[in-house]
Amino acid sequence: MALIELQEVSKLYGFGDATTLALDEVALTVEKGEFLAIMGPSGSGKTTLMNLIGLLDRPTHGTYALDGRNVARLRPNRQARVRRDRIGFVFQFYNLLPRINVLENVALPLAYRGMTPVRRQKQASDMLERVGMRDREYFLPRQLSGGQTQRAAIARALINKPNIIIADEPTGNLDSTDSKVVMELLSDIHRQGNTILLVTHNPELTRYANRVIYMRDGIIVADEKKPIGRMAKGARRTYFRKRKTTDRDIVAGVSALMHDVPGKEVTETPKRRKLRHRNNKIFKHLGGRAIK
Amino acid sequence: MLNGNLKAAISSLSRTKWRSFFTMLGIIIGITSVVTVVSLGEGLKQQVVGQINHLGRDVITVRSGKLVNQASGTSVSNLNLLAFFSASTLTGHDAASLSSLPSVKAVAPMDFVTSSAKTNAKELDNLFVIGTTPDVSQVLPETVEYGDFFDQGAPDQNYAVIGNGVAQQLFGELNPVGQSLTISGRSFLVRGVLAKSSTSLLSVAETDFNSAILIPLKPAEELSSGQTNILQILIKAKDANNLDATVNDVHSALLKTHQGQENFTVLKQYELLNIAGGVINQLTGFISGIAAISLLVGGIGIMDIMLVSVSERTREIGIRKAIGATNRQILNHFLVEGLVLSVGGGLIGVVASLFVFGMLRIYTNLQPVITLPVMALAVGVSVVLGIIFSVVPALKAARKNPIDALRGE
Repeated sequence: MALIELQEVSKLYGFGDATTLALDEVALTVEKGEFLAIMGPSGSGKTTLMNLIGLLDRPTHGTYALDGRNVARLRPNRQARVRRDRIGFVFQFYNLLPRINVLENVALPLAYRGMTPVRRQKQASDMLERVGMRDREYFLPRQLSGGQTQRAAIARALINKPNIIIADEPTGNLDSTDSKVVMELLSDIHRQGNTILLVTHNPELTRYANRVIYMRDGIIVADEKKPIGRMAKGARRTYFRKRKTTDRDIVAGVSALMHDVPGKEVTETPKRRKLRHRNNKIFKHLGGRAIK
Repeated sequence: MLNGNLKAAISSLSRTKWRSFFTMLGIIIGITSVVTVVSLGEGLKQQVVGQINHLGRDVITVRSGKLVNQASGTSVSNLNLLAFFSASTLTGHDAASLSSLPSVKAVAPMDFVTSSAKTNAKELDNLFVIGTTPDVSQVLPETVEYGDFFDQGAPDQNYAVIGNGVAQQLFGELNPVGQSLTISGRSFLVRGVLAKSSTSLLSVAETDFNSAILIPLKPAEELSSGQTNILQILIKAKDANNLDATVNDVHSALLKTHQGQENFTVLKQYELLNIAGGVINQLTGFISGIAAISLLVGGIGIMDIMLVSVSERTREIGIRKAIGATNRQILNHFLVEGLVLSVGGGLIGVVASLFVFGMLRIYTNLQPVITLPVMALAVGVSVVLGIIFSVVPALKAARKNPIDALRGE
């Protein structure tokens, strides 16, 4: 049985003329232990998808089975309990409570579980040890660097021993060193058997994933399984492609950039073929494999 | 759960110290005023009760006007307040006819003549000049400290027996006995001085004998040009164990002299207590009702600030929900915060009212009495207020959609 199973999940925002289709009948199955990276341009529905999986939001249509149990229509309090026990969130902007110290922040999910203060502080302290933040226990979030804050946030996400970690651009605000630390940490968590859903814009980070999905306009346009350690093909294409802005692109505006996302709507043109060959040369030069 | 919430609530309230304080202020003022009024009423009642008891249990009081509907007992709800303000229906003749009853030992009418008297040197305006009979010495618990009472044989002499306070104020170190004082242009000879009245001072004419001047009924009538203003007649029964019989005797005798119209009230001491207590209770209730409005306003203030706080902390609510807080836990969180505000305000209010009592006792002769039930009630009321007025903001917080809350701010 799949850990996460979405069937024909749609999400609509607004109503009347202003209706936006954020997710369009998305089907997605995630097995236990997968490290799933989700890529796609802004507004493609990545975050909406994560919010639905994280039970922060409800789908307009469709079913969401978590461990075989339909959770999309649970009552808010039950959803909160599922969130508390099974899902850990890591956000781009950390989302630690600014006025309590790191230790209390990390221990907070345990408090909602009804654990005694002494026990939860002990556990939180151990968890901070694990992310290498023990010596910052009594700091306030604003006294930490971005990387440290994110590590504290990861500790908080892990404290309830969830089986799913949802990381929505966890490195979006970090420099490359901090990014690496945070990603290694997530990778470590993954190795211990957790399922990780990672939203990212950075193709480099797909190296940590064993599966990458690409989204556009609320649809999953490509789904790629790959070995860990290698950058995803689709991502690589986006990464190394140097586009020239054409007249058509100017007319199309920002949406022109979406051509870079792999998927069925990308049509092969002579120009595109030429570009691909040039990119493949670069890949080979770098030691990579050619894209078909 | 409560413990954790309490800590969190206190720390988040102390971040906005001034705002929290001013929010509490409404409750503080409300609780202080209600507690003060109730305690003043309580104090007043205790004083009156003390003074009435002071007269003794075997004293029957006849008051002008029909104060209560006797048929349904002396329940306060039947109190006829108008009777307090009408002209006196009791006369000296009533007193005289009562004294001839066999079951009556002594009869002392209380004819309130004026409030001022003077000597050559001094003038006093805050006393009670009361026309009465020599029987008063048997009815009153006060004894004559110096000199003598005016006696039965001289009912129309210009004699006066003065209270201890009057003696000190008018004559100071001098021995007042044998001195003279002037009341409404008529000169009176001081025959005696009453011992210091043990009950404390409350400005109720018939009970405060420290600032009273007792004169015989005849000159009193003459001073007010033949009119009498007998507020009440005090009667001491011969047999203290058979008060009801005496009351009946008095009642029927008065009915006869009043041509069958019952425009008087015969009261035993405990009935008097009931009435006095009832009047004070009604008054206290009325004033504390007004004071309670400020409590209501204070409660609304709490609701306002809590609503502001909830929308300010939308993101925090979102984060808490994302990491697994249930709606109920968020609700509790904000309820406890509202409770801390109101109960804190209530406690400070009780303390503040203690301070007010101190001031009142020092600067006025009011003697508020605070009792444990009143304090408990004040705290209880603030708990209830806290719950009532934080429910709406707390519900608003709890029902926020987690994703909207996370995006908020």
